[in-house]
Amino acid sequence: MKKLLCIALSILMIIGMLSACAPGIDKSQASYALVTKSAGNPYNEKEAEGFEKVMKAMGVPAGNYIIKHPEAATVDAQINVINSLISQGVSCIAIAANDANALSSVLKEAKAAGIKIVTLDSDVAVEDRLTFCNQAGVTQVAQALVDAVYDIAGGEGEYAILSATSQATNQNAWIDAMKAITASDSKYSKLTLVEVAYGDDENQKSTDQTQALLAKYPNLKVICAPTTVGIAAAAKVLQDKGSSVKLTGLGLPSEMAEFIGDDAAHSCPYMFLWNPIDLGSLAAYASIALAEGKITGKVGDTFTCDMENSPYTLTAVEGTTASEIILGAPFRFDSSNIAEWAKVY
Amino acid sequence: MAGKSGRTISATPDRSVLKRILSWEGALVVIFIGVLIMGRVLSPSYTLNNVLREMPKYLSEILIALPMGFILIMGEIDISVGSIVCLSTATATFAGNAGLPFPVVILVCLLTGLACGALNGFILTRWPELPPMIVTLGTQIIFRGIAEVALGSGGSASYANNADLEILGKKIGPFPIAFFVVLIAAAIFIVVLSKTTFGRKLYAIGSNRTAAAYAGIKVNKIRFIVYSLAGLMSALCALFILTTTFGANTTTGQNYEMDVIAMCVFGGIATTGGKGNLFGALIAGFSIVCLRIALGQININTQLILVIIGLLLIISVLISGITQSDWFRKKQLAAKQKKAEAAK
Repeated sequence: MKKLLCIALSILMIIGMLSACAPGIDKSQASYALVTKSAGNPYNEKEAEGFEKVMKAMGVPAGNYIIKHPEAATVDAQINVINSLISQGVSCIAIAANDANALSSVLKEAKAAGIKIVTLDSDVAVEDRLTFCNQAGVTQVAQALVDAVYDIAGGEGEYAILSATSQATNQNAWIDAMKAITASDSKYSKLTLVEVAYGDDENQKSTDQTQALLAKYPNLKVICAPTTVGIAAAAKVLQDKGSSVKLTGLGLPSEMAEFIGDDAAHSCPYMFLWNPIDLGSLAAYASIALAEGKITGKVGDTFTCDMENSPYTLTAVEGTTASEIILGAPFRFDSSNIAEWAKVY
Repeated sequence: MAGKSGRTISATPDRSVLKRILSWEGALVVIFIGVLIMGRVLSPSYTLNNVLREMPKYLSEILIALPMGFILIMGEIDISVGSIVCLSTATATFAGNAGLPFPVVILVCLLTGLACGALNGFILTRWPELPPMIVTLGTQIIFRGIAEVALGSGGSASYANNADLEILGKKIGPFPIAFFVVLIAAAIFIVVLSKTTFGRKLYAIGSNRTAAAYAGIKVNKIRFIVYSLAGLMSALCALFILTTTFGANTTTGQNYEMDVIAMCVFGGIATTGGKGNLFGALIAGFSIVCLRIALGQININTQLILVIIGLLLIISVLISGITQSDWFRKKQLAAKQKKAEAAK
């Protein structure tokens, strides 16, 4: 009897936990979903916040916008989430892809089910989505990072890159563009990239990788971490050690405030980022515009929204006829403005 | 052996309906039905077609749960299966992209898994005193490491000729092919475990490896076969993963070992060895799959899904722990004696 009792109790408990959940989708109007890269990443949470803010402002009922953080930062987990959204029959999915290739099949299935796909932050194969909300043009970001490395290193010396996972689409695009820029301009000829390390967007692994870089390259001058998790981990390592190696990259102001400064006591003179809240908002506006038929994802479409750079125009992705929406140029955070931005996100 | 080897081979099987429901397998069937009802009540989109459509991605894990059941019954563990899945998808993708015909691609995939499993088996039988947890932890890192090196800096490769894979991803009626493959494989594994001497030997090894060896069981030969089998089935799983991802990724198969062990333990297989059966693991596997799909469709926080599955695991271990504790057995014995006395 004990077993039966236990089972009955556990089932009751689960149903109890779940019955208090979110209201269902109202099928009489459009419904929207945002799929982030993983939970527990403040950057993703800010995107979700921007998305949710717009959905509320545009009067979409609570059950009709769904925010899904996959259980792990893997494409496997994202496939499961999209499958579930297809079952629920949402009108539009906005996704930050963990892998460009592997989502192709499930996104085609979604498309066949009449779901409109928008990507943000990290793109998929262009034929699998209608448009891409690009946080900043790849070359603009890479140029800003290379110039920062050049400036902080004093024009010459060794630098290393601390990235997220080895298959993150955006990270690889920036790193490749950085390599291309340094190779094409003789101004950067005295800069040497010694290693691209991968911290997998995990704090501990990024910390270990930073320490390994310091141990391996005694002449290292600058570490460039184009990932929010990596830069925060590296900043702590460098600052705690009082290392002479300086840091730049892409980071969240609130996490980096204590490390940003021009003196020797701070590990990061300045860094860049766009506003992930704005990126989430842009994805939400683009989703709504697509669902309402105001844009179709063709290059040249325009839509207006309640944002700084409105109206937005869909531009062509370099070398293709596919479209993207560029949020704006990366924004520089230094000792003069970090305190103010740290309060925002 | 019969005394320690658990529910399935008890000396005098009791076949009353109540006893059957009260057995762990019976309870699992009730849980399974409960999960389906819960899903239907909570989510309007929890229909047969939708559940079957979402299923293949999760289902393939059950293919690994079967040999994992064997390994756990032997009192051992293999945590390298997720990495074997990863490496197998990688070799299959490379083979496919090299223009090899599809049957050869399948062969390459399965052979990769078999080789990985055989390597585990070789190390563990060549040096039988090594703990399987540590050895397979090592090979877990090695196999994924090889896949990461092979996949290069991009970390993923897509399969060029999707048409071949789509054949495997097809459906017969509403049922995906993976569904039938799982059922057939499960039937074979269940029969082997419960009806053959090979299965009996697994229980014997799990109950007492030294005693089994003295009883003339070729312990190392059986261990080698079982670990190789785990590799082979991981590769079979990889093949079906390919039908949903159409390519390899360095994170493919991450944490599969834990999902699979969870299915087995939830199914009543004791990690200490010698106890449990695969029918329980199969039902547990389907229950977890259907539960995950249901929880996914009602859009609760995905981390909460992990919490719920973790809770289920602990409850299932607790229950089997209680029913097998000396305290519980003594109490049952006392109750029986009391009954017998009353009858007199």
